Amino acid sequence: MSRIPVTILTGFLGAGKTTLLNRILGENHGLRIAVIENEFGEVGIDHELVINAEEELFEMNNGCICCTVRGDLIRILGNLMKRRDKFDHILIETTGLADPGPVVQTFFVDADLREQTVVNGVVTVVDARHFSRHVDDTHEAEEQVAFADVILLNKCDLATPEELQETECRIRAINALAVIHRTKRAEIDIKKVLEVGGFNLDRATELNPHFLDAHGHHHHHHSDISSVGIEAEGECDGKKLNDWISKLVRDQGQDIFRMKGVFAVKGQADRVVFQGVHMLIDAASGGLWAGRPRKNSLVFIGRKLDREALTSGFRSCLA
Amino acid sequence: MKSPGSITARDHILDLKWNPDGTRLLVAPVSGPVLVANDAGAPLEEIPGHGMGNGSPDWFCGEPATCGFDGKIRCGSHEWKPVRGMIEHVRTSPDGAFLAAAQGKVLHIFDSAGSDEKSLRDLPAGVSDFAWNPKSPGEIATVGSGKAMLWRLGEKEPFARFDSGGASLLVRWSGDGRWLATAEQSQSVHVYDIPRDYELNMSGYESKVRALAFSADGKRLATAGSAVVTVWPCASKNGPEGAKPIQVDGSECEVEALDFSPSTGQLATGDGKGTLLVVTFEKGQFRRKRARLGVGISALAWHPSKPLLAVGHSTGLVTWISLEG
Repeated sequence: MSRIPVTILTGFLGAGKTTLLNRILGENHGLRIAVIENEFGEVGIDHELVINAEEELFEMNNGCICCTVRGDLIRILGNLMKRRDKFDHILIETTGLADPGPVVQTFFVDADLREQTVVNGVVTVVDARHFSRHVDDTHEAEEQVAFADVILLNKCDLATPEELQETECRIRAINALAVIHRTKRAEIDIKKVLEVGGFNLDRATELNPHFLDAHGHHHHHHSDISSVGIEAEGECDGKKLNDWISKLVRDQGQDIFRMKGVFAVKGQADRVVFQGVHMLIDAASGGLWAGRPRKNSLVFIGRKLDREALTSGFRSCLA
Repeated sequence: MKSPGSITARDHILDLKWNPDGTRLLVAPVSGPVLVANDAGAPLEEIPGHGMGNGSPDWFCGEPATCGFDGKIRCGSHEWKPVRGMIEHVRTSPDGAFLAAAQGKVLHIFDSAGSDEKSLRDLPAGVSDFAWNPKSPGEIATVGSGKAMLWRLGEKEPFARFDSGGASLLVRWSGDGRWLATAEQSQSVHVYDIPRDYELNMSGYESKVRALAFSADGKRLATAGSAVVTVWPCASKNGPEGAKPIQVDGSECEVEALDFSPSTGQLATGDGKGTLLVVTFEKGQFRRKRARLGVGISALAWHPSKPLLAVGHSTGLVTWISLEG
């Protein structure tokens, strides 16, 4: 049974999420997309494929943010998955003030959703002119960027070239991996929003931590959220790697928003790819190395990341 | 087991509800029209569905009351759309006077004239599920965000609350009014002894708990969180505490639906591969009849006064099964 792709759409209040949603629902793309909308208070979208639901947080484990999931999504998606006429795609719009973590975690935690759906990516819409102010005022705007696979730097026509450059630098400092598209009125090829593959472990093999060197730490910024990329030739010791990652997510999982990695593990012919959200991690085979040089690539996006400690910790796992 | 009739709805059966005198059955698929049939399985009526998804219906003032993801409640010729947001179930109070529907942090309570002045608004958490007290029609329990709260209509504060944390998917109130039980996403069942203000937590289920049912007398609680149904004894002073539950095996995969017969006390269970068990309890033991129906079972509803069971399937088929004789 093929799994239904899910895209999570985030963005601060007024960034242009609803404009993008209307565009996706109105465009003639041939896809049947169900939309779960949590944004209340703004102008609602009146469309037969839109479900309005108030977000409902479930704390699975006494308030640990890593174990907080969305009960409304479990029930709505459970219902949609039972339908005979399945949807081609599901899009979840979070509220402007929502932390995307619980939405993503829901798909890791619920066994039925893991089996029937696949999170294709987190798309974050950013107001090009006001992003810096949003980041200075709230944590949510930063976290929405930190979780993103794709960022729409929207309302570019309302910002000066200098403001655009500054905003893009701030975004890059937080999340060096996301693909950024500059847009006006959320005009974008819908494929760039829906066909993201951010949580697809096959796509994780495309990970390139050098990207961080080019974009990540040159810019000064005020945020304590950043990206750390690590690359090392050679092979890892599987047990050491497992122990290190387990301890890392146990000790620092609350501060790690996203992790992606591709490893060459001693004794294994195939690439080991993994991804994580806070304390939840998922690993799978990424196919054979097939003559390519065996190496390890790893990227963290999170709060208060200690680059040296992460690098030395990982290096201690090398065989 | 004999099958006197069957009908087919457009989609996977979400819920089945007999009217109080057992002459009509409401058949709610996850999408498409809601059907009404008689107790012989003959179709009587087709009611429009609720857009992207139907909710669980009930009978109110002698009419089918339906709801769904479109945020509407329909009952006879009336239609209400209280605020934005989906409605997952409507439930009628045991005396038939009120219809309740949760919508986010609001629990709407409608009377037969359509007034909702007894509604509970601005609740501290979204309502995942709710249940009327069968013994006291003016009392209703809500669950959401790890809290169970017990309300009396007309009062602004709950008269009892239980905060076990976790993530409640379902809530049921026992027929004797003593117990409140919640099925949890976190592979457990919480049981509250309301008179004693005492909480129990039963963990160790293999999956989230998908179904929960009390026997009509409140003496047994059946729970489904794997292919084995766990039936907890609730009759003694301490209820399930320290007691050994009955483990009903014989299903082939996860049990999706449970229902106790109000007339015979038998338990029916249905799994995702179509295995139907009808369990009879006798002095701490049980015996079961098994039928392989071939298509996944998603909903069960015993007739209120006859040994007649409506079985809903994932294909939309509903079969009537008679256990008479």
